[in-house]
Amino acid sequence: MEGETIFDGRVRLEKVCKAYGSTIVLNNVNFSAKRGEFVVIMGRSGSGKSTLLRLLGGLETPDAGSVEHGGVRLERMTEAERARFRRREIGFVFQFFNLIPTLTVAENIRLPLALNGIDGAEAGARVTALLAELGLEGTGDRFPEELSGGEQQRVAIARALAHAPGLVLADEPTGNLDLETAERVLGLLDDACRKHGATLVMATHSREVVGRADRVLTIRHGRLLPADAAEER
Amino acid sequence: MKALLLLAALRFYRRHPWQLALAIAGVALGVAVHVGVSLANDSARRAFELSSEALVGRTTHRVLPVGDALPESLYAEIVTDLGVTAAAPVVEAEVELAVKPPQRARLLGIDPVKEPIVRSLVGLVPGGADEAFDLMTVRDAVLLPDALADELGIGDLGVDGERGTIAIDARIGGRVQALRPVGTVRGGSPDAELPLVADIATVQRLADRRGSLDRIDLRLDAATAARLAAALPAGATLVPAGRDPAFEQLTTAFHTNLTALGLLALVVGMFLIYSTMAFAIVQRRAAIGTMLAIGLARRELLLGVLGEALAIGAIATVIGLAFGHWLARGLVELMLDTISDLAFAARVSAASPSPWLYVGGAALGLGATLVAALGPALDASRGKPADVMQRSALERSSRARSRVAALAAPPVLGTGALLLAAAPSSLATAFAGLFCVLLSGALATPAATAALMRVLDAPAGRAFGLPGLLAVRGVTASLSRTGVAASALAVAVATVVGIGLMIASFRASVVRWLETTLTADLYVSLEGDEPVDALVASLRELPGVEGIGLTRVARLPTRYGELVLRAVTPGPEGFGLVLVASSQDALERLAREPSIALSEPFAYRQGLELGDRLVLPTSTGERAFPIVAIYRDYNAAGSAALMSLEQYRALWNDRAISSIGVHVADRARIDEVAARLAALVPRDRGRIVSTEGVVDVSLAVFDRTFKITEVLRLLAGSIAFLGVLSSALSIELERARERAVLRAVGLGPGGLAALTLAQTTLLGAAAGLAAVPMGSVLAALLVHVINRRSFGWTMSLEPDPRPVLVGIALAVGAAFLAGIYPASRARRVELGRALREE
Repeated sequence: MEGETIFDGRVRLEKVCKAYGSTIVLNNVNFSAKRGEFVVIMGRSGSGKSTLLRLLGGLETPDAGSVEHGGVRLERMTEAERARFRRREIGFVFQFFNLIPTLTVAENIRLPLALNGIDGAEAGARVTALLAELGLEGTGDRFPEELSGGEQQRVAIARALAHAPGLVLADEPTGNLDLETAERVLGLLDDACRKHGATLVMATHSREVVGRADRVLTIRHGRLLPADAAEER
Repeated sequence: MKALLLLAALRFYRRHPWQLALAIAGVALGVAVHVGVSLANDSARRAFELSSEALVGRTTHRVLPVGDALPESLYAEIVTDLGVTAAAPVVEAEVELAVKPPQRARLLGIDPVKEPIVRSLVGLVPGGADEAFDLMTVRDAVLLPDALADELGIGDLGVDGERGTIAIDARIGGRVQALRPVGTVRGGSPDAELPLVADIATVQRLADRRGSLDRIDLRLDAATAARLAAALPAGATLVPAGRDPAFEQLTTAFHTNLTALGLLALVVGMFLIYSTMAFAIVQRRAAIGTMLAIGLARRELLLGVLGEALAIGAIATVIGLAFGHWLARGLVELMLDTISDLAFAARVSAASPSPWLYVGGAALGLGATLVAALGPALDASRGKPADVMQRSALERSSRARSRVAALAAPPVLGTGALLLAAAPSSLATAFAGLFCVLLSGALATPAATAALMRVLDAPAGRAFGLPGLLAVRGVTASLSRTGVAASALAVAVATVVGIGLMIASFRASVVRWLETTLTADLYVSLEGDEPVDALVASLRELPGVEGIGLTRVARLPTRYGELVLRAVTPGPEGFGLVLVASSQDALERLAREPSIALSEPFAYRQGLELGDRLVLPTSTGERAFPIVAIYRDYNAAGSAALMSLEQYRALWNDRAISSIGVHVADRARIDEVAARLAALVPRDRGRIVSTEGVVDVSLAVFDRTFKITEVLRLLAGSIAFLGVLSSALSIELERARERAVLRAVGLGPGGLAALTLAQTTLLGAAAGLAAVPMGSVLAALLVHVINRRSFGWTMSLEPDPRPVLVGIALAVGAAFLAGIYPASRARRVELGRALREE
């Protein structure tokens, strides 16, 4: 893989604040996850779950506080450096799948590999393995619009894991799927992350996830709390 | 509901002001070019009409000389012997006024007493009687056109004290002489371009034309005209007054060509309107789909979209009219320069165009906007709400539509071919055919672009990996945007390629023609109608001269209009004709017997062919000459014929020579021979020019003629550039989330910008490639059909690669430039917001 991997899967937010206009979304939030841990972030719509994930992924920078990945401060990087970091270390799964419509399933999965300079036989082997692992055999040459929602989300998971990232960020990955498909997709995501040793941080409404998670946190009024504590409040 | 629709549209444009700006710019540019060209056309046409009317006045007929000038005694005979009193004698001379900058003008010599019978040049002057008296009594007195008097800062010439006290130096007949303004001359219209006017005796003296007349203007009824025609002696002929039909045809063809170019700009502008309206609707497809879903009537939606287009069209049309008005001022000067170069010695200035052209331009702008917006509006109102909301449905329908359009292209092309064949000499059907070619090309371009991208898919993937695939497939994935933009760009570039190839071919043909025609090394251009036998004899004996050729140019009033007859004694290298058609031994027959060669344009216009006879008035009456050859002639007037000087002298009582071609034995010593010639030819009798000088001047005129097409090409190119920019911005906006995902997975800002630029550049390359066959067909039509039908010229199509390369470079360059701003926006995409908006 291109460049030296400096991230070991540990991620930490310290005293992070984020506001959009006059709306404070995150207020002095602290968060950390260990390597290989599966953390679920719950909360109502608009509570700041997705914002937290975007900050963790370096898609946005905090107004205050720090975002550390294995000791590296993301907010101090330039945009290009953050892009290179994401390319190597982070995988994303979105609610609306966000596959590139002009690329086939196999090409979508190969995309992060290509961005990391992995091509040819090695890339082909990884794609084939992921297709098999996620039950997508025979779909490699099809375009996203030819797949069902569940299949598309599995392709998104494969894409998120293709380059063996230390951290996978999943924002409502089952929000657009029926219950049965959602359950299957969740299982696949959890299993795949554990198999690959990736830290998984998932924002979701879904209570079905809770049983699978190592830890469940809730965002309320801009603060991040253990789920139990939040319920007590 | 209407208010809500309006509000939604207003807010949309407030959020996307660049889109509104591009739509307005596209329509405005299209309208401006069309209106600009129409106004300039009309202004130039009216200027010539008014000037012509001012000079023709109430004249119904003219007595013109055949060969030499008319003897002054003929005028007396007409008035006294034949009893025709409504007659006014005229002598004309060209003058060069020594003002800053020097101006060429016509000096009209008239009889102030008889003039009011046929014209109003003097009669309309305040205190005209005084001025008529001054013209006859003050030495070298002239009347100046009002505009010229103002320009020269000469005060009120009507005040007695200033009359005849100011002198203006002018070169007349090779000598500088002083003219004394005694008043101003006014025509029926302030826009008419008027000559300087003097008493006939003054002009005869100044131009050394004593005892001769150029013409006699008359007001006759049909019976008197017939009686006079029969009574005229040989050497004079009676013709109806009016403009030269050859000139009429030339200017009409010129106007038609420019109007077509103006319409082309409007068509390209319509592409932009179409694409902008389509983009605006597509971007709101979710909102429109929702409105349809909750019960908005399709008719209301259709009317709402059309109303929106009309509002944009109205704003843009107003701007376009103002810009067109401004543009016309520049264009009319270029146009008048060209027409003056081609057909007139003196300058003509612009006239006020008809105000109705503004109304027509406004109607065309609004109409074009509505027509262009109708397709997208119908799409939105007819679609199923669910489909309207889905982008994939739109792209599927775009791909299907591009295939249908490509299938429609061959029948449209066939219609064009039928139009061209149906009326072999009609210029209007030629242009209709040409537009069919462009339309078929535009129809085929989206499918061709998609096909090209399919071909490029694998190589791009191999060469650039997934970013290469993304760039190539992105073009096809947004065919609803890129298709129209590619068509607009292809039409604009095809025009550039087509006109470029035509000009290159034309220029190469003109150069070859000049090289063949100008057989001598030096030319002595002579003034006056005196025989120059002694000078010719001296030239033959001049050291370094290998031989000489003689040419007499006579303007003959013929039944076909005025004809320029070139009587030639060829030099050592022959007649120097590029023969298009000739009978056996044509050149020998031409030298030996009374026969004639015709210029190609004249033969084409008159429908004359080899073996036909051309009737010309000679000194002994009309005579029919066999046509033994037709030769290529790119002289703009084009109404020319050629015969041997020996035959001419035998039939016309004219021993004068207009020019002498001098063939130099050793070309390295051409300057020495030129110096000896200069010593031999008095300055007031003639000028010496080298062949290189003639070629340079001719090509300068040629280049000036096509300057106006460069302006119009540039404008059409600008509209196409806006089309690509609009398309690239729409794609950038629409695919913001897709781009954000690419950024999220690690594509850097530079990579994303490069992707955007690669897509627009690919689009440009596709349009450029599509434009090559379109442009080549266009060039072939311009060379072989339009030029032939407009001017009667034939030429060969030169396979010059430069215009093609320029066209492709323009397409790729314009698309690349159009991609820069969207690429920089893509670099700056706010990932958080773009993903949040999912």
